[in-house]
Amino acid sequence: MTDTESEPAQPPAVALTGITKRFPGVVANSDVHLTVRAGEVHALCGENGAGKSTLMKILYGMQAPDEGTIEVGGEPVRFRSPAEAIKAGIGMVHQHFMLADNLTVLENVVLGAEGLHGIGRRAKARIRELAGATGLDVDPDTLVERLGVADRQRVEILKVLYRGARIVILDEPTAVLVPQEVDELFETLRSMRADGYTFLFISHKLDEVRTIADTVTVIRRGTTVGTVDPRTVSSRQLAEMMVGSELPSPEHRHTPIGDDEVLRVEGLTLRTQDDRTLLDSLDLVIRSGEVLGIAGVEGNGQTELVETIMGMRRAAEGRVLLAGKDLTKAGTLARREAGIGYIPEDRTRHGLLLTQPLWANRILGHQTRRPTARGAMLDIAGARRDTERIVEEFDVRTPGIEVAAASLSGGNQQKLVVGRELSGDPVLLIASHPTRGVDVGAQAAIWDQIRSARARGLAVLLVSADLDELIGLSDSILVMLRGRFVADADPTTVTPEDLGSAMTGAGSDRVDHIEEGETR
Amino acid sequence: MTAKLRSTLLAPTLAIAFSALLCALALLASGANPADALGVMIGHVGKGQVAVDIVNSTAIYMLAALAAAIGFQMNLLNIGIEGQYRIGALVAAIVGSALVLPPVLHWLVILVVASLAGALWALLPAILKVTRGVHEVLSTIMMNAIAFGLAAYLIRRDMFGILVGNNVSTEPIPDSGRVPGIDLGDRGTVFGLVFLAVVVAAVYGIVMKRTRFGFELKASGESPTAAAAGGVNAKKMVVVSLLVSGAVAGLVGMPEILGRDHAYTLNFAAGYGFAGIGIALLGRNHPVGIAFGSLLWAFLEKSKVALDNVGVPREIATIMQGSIVLSVVVAYEIVKRMDLAAEQRRVGRALGTAKPAEQVGGDGK
Amino acid sequence: MRFKRGVAVTAIALTSVLSVVGCAKDSASSNNSSGGQNGAAGCQTVDKPPAASGQASTSEVATDVDASSLKVGLAFDIGGRGDASFNDSAAAGLDEAIAQLGVKKENTKELTATDQESEDSKQTRLRQLAREGHNPVISVGFAYSEATKVIAGEFPNTQFAVVDGFVEGAPENVTFLGFAEHEGSFLVGVIAALESESCTIGFVGGVNVPLIQKFQAGFEQGVKAVAPDATVNSRYITEAGDLTGFTDAPKGQVTAKGLIDQGADVVYHAAGASGKGVFAAAHEAGIKAIGVDSDQYNQPTVAEYKDVIISSMLKRVDVAVFDYIAAVAAGDLANLPQVFDLKVNGIGYSTSGDMLSDETVDWVEAYKQQIINGEITVSDTPTTS
Repeated sequence: MTDTESEPAQPPAVALTGITKRFPGVVANSDVHLTVRAGEVHALCGENGAGKSTLMKILYGMQAPDEGTIEVGGEPVRFRSPAEAIKAGIGMVHQHFMLADNLTVLENVVLGAEGLHGIGRRAKARIRELAGATGLDVDPDTLVERLGVADRQRVEILKVLYRGARIVILDEPTAVLVPQEVDELFETLRSMRADGYTFLFISHKLDEVRTIADTVTVIRRGTTVGTVDPRTVSSRQLAEMMVGSELPSPEHRHTPIGDDEVLRVEGLTLRTQDDRTLLDSLDLVIRSGEVLGIAGVEGNGQTELVETIMGMRRAAEGRVLLAGKDLTKAGTLARREAGIGYIPEDRTRHGLLLTQPLWANRILGHQTRRPTARGAMLDIAGARRDTERIVEEFDVRTPGIEVAAASLSGGNQQKLVVGRELSGDPVLLIASHPTRGVDVGAQAAIWDQIRSARARGLAVLLVSADLDELIGLSDSILVMLRGRFVADADPTTVTPEDLGSAMTGAGSDRVDHIEEGETR
Repeated sequence: MTAKLRSTLLAPTLAIAFSALLCALALLASGANPADALGVMIGHVGKGQVAVDIVNSTAIYMLAALAAAIGFQMNLLNIGIEGQYRIGALVAAIVGSALVLPPVLHWLVILVVASLAGALWALLPAILKVTRGVHEVLSTIMMNAIAFGLAAYLIRRDMFGILVGNNVSTEPIPDSGRVPGIDLGDRGTVFGLVFLAVVVAAVYGIVMKRTRFGFELKASGESPTAAAAGGVNAKKMVVVSLLVSGAVAGLVGMPEILGRDHAYTLNFAAGYGFAGIGIALLGRNHPVGIAFGSLLWAFLEKSKVALDNVGVPREIATIMQGSIVLSVVVAYEIVKRMDLAAEQRRVGRALGTAKPAEQVGGDGK
Repeated sequence: MRFKRGVAVTAIALTSVLSVVGCAKDSASSNNSSGGQNGAAGCQTVDKPPAASGQASTSEVATDVDASSLKVGLAFDIGGRGDASFNDSAAAGLDEAIAQLGVKKENTKELTATDQESEDSKQTRLRQLAREGHNPVISVGFAYSEATKVIAGEFPNTQFAVVDGFVEGAPENVTFLGFAEHEGSFLVGVIAALESESCTIGFVGGVNVPLIQKFQAGFEQGVKAVAPDATVNSRYITEAGDLTGFTDAPKGQVTAKGLIDQGADVVYHAAGASGKGVFAAAHEAGIKAIGVDSDQYNQPTVAEYKDVIISSMLKRVDVAVFDYIAAVAAGDLANLPQVFDLKVNGIGYSTSGDMLSDETVDWVEAYKQQIINGEITVSDTPTTS
């Protein structure tokens, strides 16, 4: 059907040659070469921070390269803005959706491209036509706020197609999807590929890359290390190209669980101001030395659960007990003082004071406790000493403790946060996505730290979107859907696919479904 | 450390140089000689009581700027200093004139009353902010308007005012409530409460640097979300910082009232609150920076009379005040980015790799 | 284009005003500048007082002195020369002294206060003038009272004067030049009562301070003396402490507009440079206005609105400044009037533009004489407020 094969001399859809981009102090891309054939799904793989996003921003006209050339369809181009990239037929779907919730699908798609087909019937017809041709089926008149994550992604893709893109950059499109949705997305991509669309697929999930990509280019430390055919290499080989060393894997190591009940949550219920239920009468118990994993598609109440246990949100009903002590009415500080450590899901928003030096970040959350404080006064010397200890013990790569937190890499920032939260002998650690956005080395180090703390009797509530991580670290797993625990699973037997099914509410043999009213 | 000092001084130096250049151009355009004007401004300091006036004004500006800085630390814009110090001064003058107490106690009572009145005037915006989410800029501006109205009402002759010629004043504060100054003869009298400003600045510096409260304030300012996760009660911090800011603002009028005027009159100077906001920006919320900023501001303010005296448009000093604040804000931002980039470079070099966090500078603002 | 539209708007406004008036009083002539029975057109008036008798004395100060050796320093209040108000009036007094008394222009210096300045700036200003050998040093505005008292102590051989000023315990080398503004305001109140059609009259004060309350007080008494049933609505642009009320013409316009909307058809202002806005509002609404301090009909800064300025209350700061300089030159300060009032022509009213009928002038002159004779005592504090 496609005429791509009948014209082998067709120039590549995109060719990047010798791209170099320097930021102050950092070479984000150096001498990158990337050739994308028309009508293929080309995966770009690399660790977080390897330079994938910068490269795509350059291709999409958001940043200008310091050196190198870009060719689209054989023509050299120089984009000064995304608008110019779109004009050349390149569209980008960002990892974080850029949709206005209170507008309809139609309005979101048309927003900013009103000149193409107007905003009325013609626009709607065009969207229907595109949706029909590509299988990106969404009702143009639905409000975006009613849509699930997968549908929103479809809208994002429709948006770029509507603007005439034939080459679509997908930035980690599967990060927000459950396995079944990933399969659907891949189906769509395959059929669109058959229609002649070209995809640049950014990911670090190697299995997915191997499933969908025709060609894989691996990028490491800002430069391309090779382009391979995914059918001829294994995931492990790919991973080693990415990391440049042997790959750590999260494997389950069992340690005995104590008898002491550390955290007990009873009937925890949280509502929004307009009385929507976010958490619906949740019960859970964590014992010392136990890791309880919470699985779930993002947005099903995990964040709210964590923040309610931390006292950052006020529960409407229910109790939170730590080692038998009722903390339901306590503030965040009192809960921390009672022995809860908290690794927030977004370290830059909730975990760190980015412009402050590392030692000041050590104080945050510990401003009432030794060794960082004495009464109402701070103990700055104590804070510095203890920061040195964390840097040492947790292998935080930094020239010193006076540098601003912002100047560390994501993984080292996270190691600092983990080190801080494990300081002061906590009895409970709440870890939200503890290895999100960190490199493989830091990931392994953080896993090790959590494991060894557990071995010392720490209770851990682990929320993660990385199902391998959940299965690898947890002693038991609860699946959360729409503010309720809908299933529990044994990590020694469950597979990511089983969990994925349970997360969407579908059934599976290897998870136990929790009936309404049942207490676990 | 020297590098840090250099970058701290770089921004204000650049800003002052830039605004001086701007003013020089404005002067040239208006047909005056910038060098002569500068000579007059500097020569003026040595004349009469000007040097002492500058010191006295510096203290007043410091108090106002410290009040602003307390709010700035957690990104609260207390525009209401203007009204808070007016109310503080008026209430303190009324109470002070009605009391008979031993000298030192009398001053202290007046100072406490001024602080309380200032804090009270900041209370409503604080409550509105934490309960209804009303932005403090709006509410404090409105409180300024109310303060002016209330002051005008309280000083009526049927309230607490007495007529002095064509002026209206509160009853004079008795001798026991007057704070003696340092009499330098022909050079004038340094207000005794200049030392109050120094003490407030020192306390502020220590609190910000060494105490839990200061840390929580700064943390809330830098990232409210991170502060909340770290156990800082945002609402409490809003209320406390606005009240403390108002309390310090309440003291702004005290050096003049207890040191010279001994009463609140219609001539009570306005505008210190707004100047304080500019100076806090200029001094980067740092007590030493604020002290120097206040000195510079006072110098420019006093030079207006001298410029007028030699026929140079004295608006040039106002232009300079404004352009310094503007260029300081810009310069700090530039220097901050340069510093961060330099630090990332340094970290990258030290570690032999070059990987930044993907969200440098983050949001949180 | 804009100008034309403005004219059109004004014309419409005028027509509507006229038609309203016409409806209300279909038999009466709505034009009262032609003279005749204008007193009966608007308010119910009291009986006309007896014609003026007796004479106003003038200031005793000699004008043939030689002041060529004097160095005169003038410290203005906010606004300075060109404020179309009392600073300008003081400047006129100095100009008069230059012209008539031989004061050399190069021997004079004028400095101006800034908005929101502190007390020490006023002191520094006066000290500068005194140190440079200016004698006398004249400051304009009561805000200088305290500073003058301090600086006069430092320079006992220099003469100081403060227009509008007064403070207890000032040294002997300080002269306070005070005015009986309430007396002059009484007279223009009489004019307003006679000229009003709607019998609703407005007063716009710049800032609500005792000095301006004197204007309000006199004005209200003047209106009530003629027409006890008349309504006088008094408004201030700003409250005490906010001096912008004297310098903010747009606010003056809004304030006057408010009074006009309440029915005022004669508006008197004591609002310094804000008065320009008052005139603009009067002009737009096609009503009458009364100026203040100097003869505003002839004032260039408000010339575009001169057709609405039927009179001005004259506060002869120029006379006071001139007399004071002459008295200093003659070494004879004792003969200066204690208060510049109607009797010494320190206060008066203007008839420039000939918009007052002879009848009105007769009324005013009669009241003026009664005040000079002491038959009427004008209070300087408003009864309402």
